[in-house]
Amino acid sequence: MIHLGTLTITYAGIASAIAILTALIGTLYWMLHPPKSKADLVAKKAETQLKTQLGASIVVFSSDIRSEHMMVLASKLARGQRTVLLAAYVIEVPFTLPTHAPMELEDRAALDILAAAEVIAKNNGCEVRTEIIHHRQTSEAVLELAKREKANLIIMGSYREGKYTGAPLSRTIETIAANAKCDVLIGVEGKHGTLLVEEEPEPVTATVPVLHAE
Amino acid sequence: MSRKEEGLRRSVTPWGSYSWGYADVGADIFVALGLVFGAAAGASNVAFLFAGLVYVCVGLAYTELASAYPVAGGGQYFVMRGLGDMLGFVAGWAVLLDFTIDITLFAWGCIGYLSHLPVLHVLDASANPAVHFAVVFAAIAALALLNVVGVRESTAFNGMVSALDVVSETSILFFGFLFAFRPELLVHSMQTGWPSSFQLMNGISLAIISFVGLESISHAAEETNRPASIIPRTSIALILTILIFALAYSNLALGMQPWHAIPAGSGGHVHDFWRFLGFPENQDKAVAVMASNIPYFGALAALYVPVLGAILLLISSNSGVFGSSRIAYSMSQFKLLPAIFERVHQKYKTPVISIVTFCGLAVIELIFAALQGNAGYEFLGDLYAFGAAASYTLVFVALIALRLKDPLTPRKFKIPWNIPMRFRGERVEFPVVGVIGFAGIFAILIFVLYTHHIGRIAGPSWLLLGIIIFTVYRKSKGLPVFGSQPRNWSADQVGILKNAGELELMDELVEKLKTRQREREGPPA
Repeated sequence: MIHLGTLTITYAGIASAIAILTALIGTLYWMLHPPKSKADLVAKKAETQLKTQLGASIVVFSSDIRSEHMMVLASKLARGQRTVLLAAYVIEVPFTLPTHAPMELEDRAALDILAAAEVIAKNNGCEVRTEIIHHRQTSEAVLELAKREKANLIIMGSYREGKYTGAPLSRTIETIAANAKCDVLIGVEGKHGTLLVEEEPEPVTATVPVLHAE
Repeated sequence: MSRKEEGLRRSVTPWGSYSWGYADVGADIFVALGLVFGAAAGASNVAFLFAGLVYVCVGLAYTELASAYPVAGGGQYFVMRGLGDMLGFVAGWAVLLDFTIDITLFAWGCIGYLSHLPVLHVLDASANPAVHFAVVFAAIAALALLNVVGVRESTAFNGMVSALDVVSETSILFFGFLFAFRPELLVHSMQTGWPSSFQLMNGISLAIISFVGLESISHAAEETNRPASIIPRTSIALILTILIFALAYSNLALGMQPWHAIPAGSGGHVHDFWRFLGFPENQDKAVAVMASNIPYFGALAALYVPVLGAILLLISSNSGVFGSSRIAYSMSQFKLLPAIFERVHQKYKTPVISIVTFCGLAVIELIFAALQGNAGYEFLGDLYAFGAAASYTLVFVALIALRLKDPLTPRKFKIPWNIPMRFRGERVEFPVVGVIGFAGIFAILIFVLYTHHIGRIAGPSWLLLGIIIFTVYRKSKGLPVFGSQPRNWSADQVGILKNAGELELMDELVEKLKTRQREREGPPA
């Protein structure tokens, strides 16, 4: 027996108290860790893979590639994953100009788009770095950037170059998808699905300017 | 069998499944502890041990059956499938008795625990029986109303209260054993307070009350995620938790040196502490009385244990309301009860007739209990024990029958100790534990009938009333009374496993069924 002030504690009491506590904690721990099913294992593997993919992600913008909606998706995926998001805007510099030539209008547009990307990231609780790149070719710029950043995932929207170019998602996007050393996530908007969905002509009234009589 | 086309959402997690059962069975010790001490005195721990061993067998049977047949009907479904419509009805009807008693007994206990708080002492059943009756009646009426207007029980709330209660009860036991346990006092109490055989049998039959409610896990099986894998774990964890609590509480009470030599509320008289717990005025709040008498820890426990106990008991009482309406709904779907119990309220979409009927029965039981004064609580306990023992007895027979009649259904959890044999040309495994459990629960049923003067009349009368209703209903519908309606159980079982998301088990069953068909057809000519 142990005497502590007015308390008398017995060894049997101590042993019983510890045994009860251990038995209950052990039972509940065992219950809360059931064996994984085949579906659980597949899901776990996919989740691990996605975490790796999201390790370093680049969201690509350009004058032709609209990726705002993909920025939202990237931000939602990145939230809580410790992902480093990089939003990059590529400005294609024509061959008639040197690569360092100032392009004020394009730079301004890029700043607007990247500011919106920052707001999207902030609203979704993740951090983003931004970068404007001047390059001769968008696809080449993105591939070089991915290499430099050791990116795991390139995320971008899409645009339609034309029905008969052989590259319905545009050559730029297809070049990136074909040559990237990491995963590429392309958000194809429904209206671009010209191969699968019959295109409906846009209503004429929408394009007719309203003329006010003098 | 009839199943919802859209299916129930499988959203119940392991903790959700555990807390679903715990909200029902976890409250039992709050009710049973005082009753058992009142009956079995110094052998209360032995009574809990005997009932606990039977309960382990019951629990294992439910675990196997609920994981093999994850449907909402629980014991009533297992018995109907194994033993036919009539016995399925009897099992369901016995469970209905338990659920209606559940409503009254736990509402009574809830108010009893609240009365342990000094500010609410006016609610004490012994001091103010009329006030107590009125408040319990109001609680039952409020629960009925809440269920009619469709306030759903929140699984998250259940889970939170269950977690708090597990922590609380563990704390009571931990500090109780640490600060107040004297092994020599335990031996002395058992020697001096050993009851007569009659009292011990009475105590055992009441001790089974502390283990009633495990079947709630099987009622939630249809909504449990991966039931065949999860239910065995949650059931076994629940069995162990409740068994540990029951044995620990009874041994602690017998060997506990209370904080004060003369406990508060004892009227200045010196009693053995365990005897004090079994007094009629303490029976409906025994855990709170015990917790408040643990040195130092008791000062804190006296404040929150009555409130936590009351909440858990109220949840348990509520589970009686929706449990009875669920079982009645399920029974009427299988044409064991009139279709009126399937009807739902046009506005609230709840089974209003079931709710009102069974809450009405609960109120009748309350009136009968209240008329017996201090013995009222024990009267409710008697009936509760009868209903549980009757339905569990049939579940054991169903377990054995299903092992013999339905060997192909995959059983991810199988009770250990089986004898391999051949039955009707098929290899089956005969469950030895099923026989042991049957003997144990049947003995408890006999104890209930032998030792409970009112239970021995009221319990069988309830079953007789049910059989008359069943016979009249089945005859009026042109359905067999003693036989069963034809059903394709194999096809149903494939559907059950598919709905439960147990696709691997479904494939296994389909393969076994095909193999059996090929064997029966013989080699091609």
